[in-house]
Amino acid sequence: MTTDTRTKRFLNWIDFRFPLTEVFERHLSKYPAPTNLNIWYLFGFLLIFVLAMQIITGLWLMMNYTNSAEEAFSSVEYIMRDVEYGWLIRYMHAAGASAFFALIYLHMFRGMMYGSYQKPRELIWLGGWFTYLILMAEGFTGYVLPWGQMSFWAAQVIISLFSSIPIVGEDLATWIRGDYLVSGITLSRLFAFHVVLLPILLIAIVFFHILALHEIGSNNPDGIDVKKHLDEDGVPLDTKPFFPYDISHDIFALGVFLIIFCSVVFFFPTGGGYIIEYVNYEPANPLSTPAHIVPSWYYTPFYAMLRAVDFPLFGLTAKFLGFATMMAAVAIFAVLPWLDRSPVKSIKYKGILSKTFLGIFVVSFFALCYLGMVPPTETKTLLSKIFTLGYFSYFILMPIYTRIEKCKPVPERVAEA
Amino acid sequence: MKLLLFLAFAFFSGLSISAGDYKCGSIECYEFSPDTKDKESLQRGLSAYMNYCYGCHSLKYSRYKRVAEDLSIPLDIYEQNLIFDDSKIGDLMHISLKESKAIELLGAKPPDLTLEARLRSPEWVYTYLDTFYEDSSRPYGVNNKVYANVSMPHVLEDIQSELSEEEYDRYIADITNFLTYVSDPSAETRKQLGIYVILFLLIFTAFAYLVYREFKKDLK
Amino acid sequence: MQPKSPPNPIRRQLLTSITSLLGFVGVIFAAIPFLSAFKPSARAEAAGAPVKVNISKLSPGELMTVEWRGMPVFVYKVSNEAQNVLSADKSKLADPNSDQQQQPEYAQNDTRSRKRGIAVVKGVCTHLGCAPKFYPEATSQDFDPNWQGGFFCPCHGSKFDLAGRVYANVPAPTNLEVPPHYFETDSTLVIGSDGAS
Repeated sequence: MTTDTRTKRFLNWIDFRFPLTEVFERHLSKYPAPTNLNIWYLFGFLLIFVLAMQIITGLWLMMNYTNSAEEAFSSVEYIMRDVEYGWLIRYMHAAGASAFFALIYLHMFRGMMYGSYQKPRELIWLGGWFTYLILMAEGFTGYVLPWGQMSFWAAQVIISLFSSIPIVGEDLATWIRGDYLVSGITLSRLFAFHVVLLPILLIAIVFFHILALHEIGSNNPDGIDVKKHLDEDGVPLDTKPFFPYDISHDIFALGVFLIIFCSVVFFFPTGGGYIIEYVNYEPANPLSTPAHIVPSWYYTPFYAMLRAVDFPLFGLTAKFLGFATMMAAVAIFAVLPWLDRSPVKSIKYKGILSKTFLGIFVVSFFALCYLGMVPPTETKTLLSKIFTLGYFSYFILMPIYTRIEKCKPVPERVAEA
Repeated sequence: MKLLLFLAFAFFSGLSISAGDYKCGSIECYEFSPDTKDKESLQRGLSAYMNYCYGCHSLKYSRYKRVAEDLSIPLDIYEQNLIFDDSKIGDLMHISLKESKAIELLGAKPPDLTLEARLRSPEWVYTYLDTFYEDSSRPYGVNNKVYANVSMPHVLEDIQSELSEEEYDRYIADITNFLTYVSDPSAETRKQLGIYVILFLLIFTAFAYLVYREFKKDLK
Repeated sequence: MQPKSPPNPIRRQLLTSITSLLGFVGVIFAAIPFLSAFKPSARAEAAGAPVKVNISKLSPGELMTVEWRGMPVFVYKVSNEAQNVLSADKSKLADPNSDQQQQPEYAQNDTRSRKRGIAVVKGVCTHLGCAPKFYPEATSQDFDPNWQGGFFCPCHGSKFDLAGRVYANVPAPTNLEVPPHYFETDSTLVIGSDGAS
């Protein structure tokens, strides 16, 4: 018997009991991806890579980290100094968090540009949105674990936000902390969330996201429904099998990504203070707040909104309204599929209004990202208010502008685009 | 896409402007770029640190042995000359001064300095060591331009008066180099390893690109 | 669309193979830090540094347990009579001459000790790692009516004589291990180092 037939027999044995070949072909080797996918379609693959990397490096960090207020800070230095290659593993994990957010923002923007959230991809979009939520929680809880000054005060500020909720707020914040101030008790529960609960949810949702995607199929930069034109085997004509066409593209992209990522890890591991804040090299001290507390760059747009709302309204405090605005800014992504009334998907065929508002959104996002990092001044708070309005106008006005604008006709086939 | 790039550029250039506030208290930091490759300077810095700073400022996240190895000091010589208590060579660099005693003597607990150069920056440390001035209103008769109303005496005063200005600058540069090293002891290994990693990735990515282009031909 | 046959299949095959090979090499390299991180850390090494013990007050028949690298090391005196018993009847022992490398060279002798009369053995049963119990007296025991003094492992019943030599027909395969040690002075024993020779 040759090896070939032996392998085949083994595969048959498995396939009789578990649809291995079918799953492999359906989700990987033969998955039909549109022929007109561009570089915006690489980030999903890179995100899965980063997720795997975070899980592995996280696992290794967890082996040496101690989750108590007394030991946490020194256990991180123990990893950095005493554990062989501990520094590399930790820098990878820290830079990995920033990479994760950079990639997910690009990935989300791709969806917004090409209308990938539109029918019938609403659940894919919701799954992605939920992934983003969990990732934000992961980022926050992970940030607290080194138990430096920034960790401590970030936890203090973020958890205090809950105290702004009317009536139950104070009790809720105390309940979340498990103490009257952020303490070792809080650290322990955030640690449990960071390493067990949230990763399990994250993996489950990512699984759902990909399964839903593979059921419907990928959208494309032209928003053409490739399933309208099939070949004799029922495979869409304007698609190519994932293997080898997309995987070769993805692996190349992975190489480019790793060059950038490793340059950061090996030569700028603290990212100029944006990946690991310098203030966090001082152990947590509940008695003294550092001069500037700034969240990580990936939260700053929402932080800027929090600070922009400095006025009470309808009998609600400014503190609560700021918190609510911040939450709404994240939550509003979830309803995007139902806000878009346009007959076309891709920005390429949408009208000038959609293009303008998407532009306003991008400018507002970057501006708020910057404004959330710098100390507030009167002008900057005013700017934050304007850009917060810009951010929300993209969503809130969408049902109007997508209905009234004139769209270009979408071609039937990719070749005509 | 161009708009995005422009925005990103505007965004980061905006950041660098905002970072221009005084980082060194009441003055601009002096120019200083640490050299953690200069082992002789690190050794001089270590010995100065052990003699003048280590009485009060521990390096409790670092180990004697690691410092000895990284600075190419033979272990037995290190043990005989640079360990002042009954610590073993593999131990963390704790000091014998107790916290309560320190508060009684100095009014504050002297901070651990293992990570000081990362927390504050090497320029800060260098400038700090260079800007003690006389101020009779302070308990030790000295104050500091970088750290206003510092509760520490100017321990290098004797050295500063014995040495010429250039010699003193070199002296504090050695200490700063050492503190920069000890704040991130893996830095040199990291950079060396990084070069090989990036070279490997460049080769890998070049081939991955060729493969990508090869398959792309089919799609034309 | 279905995969097409390439214009130059050899070039395609070659490029794919080289890239896959490089990828494989990359994964191997990437695994090194993660595998290395499992080695004893600087803290574990520091904790495993040689230990100094004062043995001046050790009386015969008394067992001193010293912690070295987190494991018990037994230090005890062996009287002259006991030594004679040790050398008298070797027939029941599995490895009476200590041929297996369970001790440094300087302890490969009758009493398996560097200094005659003072035994230093790791208190880790060579079967599955339990700490054996010390029964120094040559009196009848529950587990052995003809007990000549030595160690008995409560986990699986392995027996060792006073020199740490294993008896035949017990679960433990080899003699108790003798850790590296030397005598700095007559009363100071250093465990964990062979000493400057």
